[in-house]
Amino acid sequence: MSFPRRSNLVVPAAAWITYLFLLVPSLIVIPISFGGSGEMTFPPQVWTLDLYRQFFADAAWWGSLIQSLRIAVFVTLVTTVLGVPAAYALQRTNLPGGKVLGGLAMGPLLVPVVVLALGLYLQLGPIGLADKTWTVVLAHSMLALPFVMVSVGAALRHLDPSYEQVALIMGAGKTRIFFKVVLPQLRSGIAAGALFAFLISLDEVIVAYFITGTATQTLPVKMYSALRWEVSPVIAAVSTILTVVSLAFAIGLMWLERKDRHD
Amino acid sequence: MQPIARDMIRVTALTRTYGSFNALDAVDLSVAQGEFVTLLGPSGSGKSTLLNLISGMIEPTSGKIEIDGRDATNQPTNQRGLGMVFQNYALMPHMTVFENVAFPLQVRKVPKSEIETRVRDVLRLIQLEHVADRKPKQLSGGQQQRISLARCIVYRPSIILMDEPLGALDKKLREDMQLEIKRLHAELGITMIYVTHDQEEALAMSDRIVLMRKGRIEQQGRPEELYFRPDTLFTADFLGSSNLLMGTIDVSARTLQTAYGNLPLPATRPGEPKSGDGVLMIRPESVRLFSETAPETWSGLQATVRDSIVLGSFVRHFLELPGGKRVIVQEPSGASLSRPERGSTVRVAWGPQDARLLRTDPDFQNL
Amino acid sequence: MSETKPYLDRWAGLALLLPMAALLAIFFVYPLARTVWQSFYEYGFTLRAYETLLSSTLFWKVLKTTFAISFTATIVALLAGYPVALHLSRLPPQRRMPYLVMVMLPFWTSILVKSFALIVLLGYDGIVNNALSFVFGSPIHIPMVFNRVGAILGMVNYLLPFMILSILSSLLTQDVNLGRAAEVMGASRFTIFRRITLPLSMPGVLAGVLISFTLSIGMYITPALLGGRQDMMMANLIDFYTRQTLDWPLASAIAVVLLLVSGVLVAMLGQVRGAGGMKEMAR
Ligand SMILES: Nc1ncnc2c1ncn2[C@@H]1O[C@H](COP(=O)(O)OP(=O)(O)OP(=O)(O)O)[C@@H](O)[C@H]1O
Ligand SMILES: [Mg+2]
Repeated sequence: MSFPRRSNLVVPAAAWITYLFLLVPSLIVIPISFGGSGEMTFPPQVWTLDLYRQFFADAAWWGSLIQSLRIAVFVTLVTTVLGVPAAYALQRTNLPGGKVLGGLAMGPLLVPVVVLALGLYLQLGPIGLADKTWTVVLAHSMLALPFVMVSVGAALRHLDPSYEQVALIMGAGKTRIFFKVVLPQLRSGIAAGALFAFLISLDEVIVAYFITGTATQTLPVKMYSALRWEVSPVIAAVSTILTVVSLAFAIGLMWLERKDRHD
Repeated sequence: MQPIARDMIRVTALTRTYGSFNALDAVDLSVAQGEFVTLLGPSGSGKSTLLNLISGMIEPTSGKIEIDGRDATNQPTNQRGLGMVFQNYALMPHMTVFENVAFPLQVRKVPKSEIETRVRDVLRLIQLEHVADRKPKQLSGGQQQRISLARCIVYRPSIILMDEPLGALDKKLREDMQLEIKRLHAELGITMIYVTHDQEEALAMSDRIVLMRKGRIEQQGRPEELYFRPDTLFTADFLGSSNLLMGTIDVSARTLQTAYGNLPLPATRPGEPKSGDGVLMIRPESVRLFSETAPETWSGLQATVRDSIVLGSFVRHFLELPGGKRVIVQEPSGASLSRPERGSTVRVAWGPQDARLLRTDPDFQNL
Repeated sequence: MSETKPYLDRWAGLALLLPMAALLAIFFVYPLARTVWQSFYEYGFTLRAYETLLSSTLFWKVLKTTFAISFTATIVALLAGYPVALHLSRLPPQRRMPYLVMVMLPFWTSILVKSFALIVLLGYDGIVNNALSFVFGSPIHIPMVFNRVGAILGMVNYLLPFMILSILSSLLTQDVNLGRAAEVMGASRFTIFRRITLPLSMPGVLAGVLISFTLSIGMYITPALLGGRQDMMMANLIDFYTRQTLDWPLASAIAVVLLLVSGVLVAMLGQVRGAGGMKEMAR
């Protein structure tokens, strides 16, 4: 056929409308954040760093950013330290309850977050454990665990058990095998799980909103409260910071996936 | 006084069942120090099962395993002091060649300087010193398998187990590697248990072949013993090609009454069938062609030449007995300068001691 | 006796699983159990919370709103997502990557950022209204946020990646030759789509719809920030009873209802996708 039929264009055209709808809300905050504290317009009339200055001048804002980053780092550590050995044990044993436990670890993915948030609020509030950084860390770890289990589990399924067998025959102990033979080969799966965990925690609002107070407020909670009362332009700067961090991590994840496919 | 060759491995009544299926069925086997023993058999005959029981990667259902004189039946794998070479090499992809070979020494807490020299020495032994800093993925299959051998040799285990180590290599490389493994075995005197389902490989490499069938040992012995003096139809058929003629034993005349005539039987031997049905086995290279009469003492049959092919140093003739039964004859190329014409009638004959009387076997019905 | 010897023995396995099991027990199982318990407990066992719910006009209204918004958002996401999945499935694999990045982008950006952006875009004096005013030369203020449209648009933006990937995965398992054969036999593109592509993609559509609906009914942030006062959903009602009126049994009873509804949906998803469907959501 010498020229494209019109019907060939219907699908791409419809698709592109959706692509725009997917793209614009995620990216528009970046130019807006450089637009000063007047009316929010696109493209901005003036380009300035005013909003970022405002953000960093306000201890409540950047304090909650630090808090969020701190929690996300701990969540990454906790989920990795708990999740990797557990995923390994689920693959290499046949404990009677193993299947159930593996399914349970996927549970946080299947339950509406607000239900978990309420449960944690009812559990922690009365015994004075709400508004504590470490309970937020553990609650977020629970939410992020399925992602770590899936990433590490997938990496483990691709790990040929003969590496462990040959090391065992050579006389190595199982602890040494875990650290010297298994872990190095799970590197990208573990890294992917860790990135997931970090992002899940960094962006999490609902649970944090239910169980944090002024002392432990995270950036998304502060942002949510701010958005509920007035749409302040400084949120554009906050959004850009969050988006840039998220995107950096997402790109890292995709890079890991590609790398795995090529290895 | 120490016996010259003590048993490095002795398994007794070793059995492994899966459900109601016997993957290994009451096997007894001893392997002497320095011996090269090959486990040979068709797929599913239990070779890997036996090897993995020895290494401790699977648990026996019953029976006993002794390694170097101690009871190892319930010993953890990593305390058995064995070495193993896998078909897929199982070289750690995240370590360099050097680190791979050094790994078992680090496990044994060998001092660093000694590790360095021992790894270099063993890499020199297999002539792969120059790849020490590469990752395994950057090497050819043959090189990887030599590295995985080196990784075993370097810590001098009492026994090296190999499960079809050359299965992933092409024919030429296989033959080179067979020689290499034989050389290392001869130089180092390590006991080796080698699994293959390739009969030529088994014949070429082994001090002793253990032929397995359905979880049991069918027959064991030196390669030429198994080849020329098989005890069963299965052995005769599995190793090389053979001519098999079925008939009924005539005890008084000491002949086998077959559809092609009465054939004299070789001298009696223990274990042969005494009466009833029997099968006479003659290797193709034991049969000769005669245009007229064969020597008086030889058995002989009339046959029609169907085809002859030259295979380098020998010629193989395909003949047909009356009734359609095929017979294969193999002669050195120089022996009969004039090839028999296709369709011509010849006599085939063999010396009485070259034939072997075997029991019939339900798995070999259509002979 | 076990059939094969596992690499790790029972005790090692237990030791490695215990920390994770403890986290799940204390921070997942217990809070859920606590919620269920709380819905029946007020100085002793009682069904008061459920009785109140049944007779509460607010609860029934919110339940209706939740289903209506979730249903609409799911359908819109399906209609907007299908062409994208189709487009992606027709691209050669090596060219698919940049488009997939666009699809995954909303998945990676914070829901708050997206809500903020939609407010800025669609608000009374928002970028879209301003642009329209500029084009038509007169002030235009179409209300697009702080009402049901806003809530639905926000949710659709959130749901699209799940919907698209779900449909894409079943489009990609289709045999390309089937379409080619039909084309050779003279079928028009639309006929091919209607008779071959669409029916074969139904499992993906069904899974995408179930995933989207499950995610929708539990939504909290989007209706709170982009919806109007009338668009309160179940999650917001839970929050309302928890923090405003401090009626914990009632809040818990609503949570139990929400839990049951999503449990049914997840079970249906499991039927459609097998066990793999659940992990799909994590990808
Ligand atoms: N984990 C298992 N569960 C059930 N049956 C098994 C298991 N492992 C082995 N078997 C069975 O035991 C028998 C012997 O297997 P084995 O691996 O020892 O054979 P093999 O001689 O090594 O064959 P191959 O040449 O194919 O490697 C086979 O019939 C196999 O199906
Ligand atoms: Mg085998």
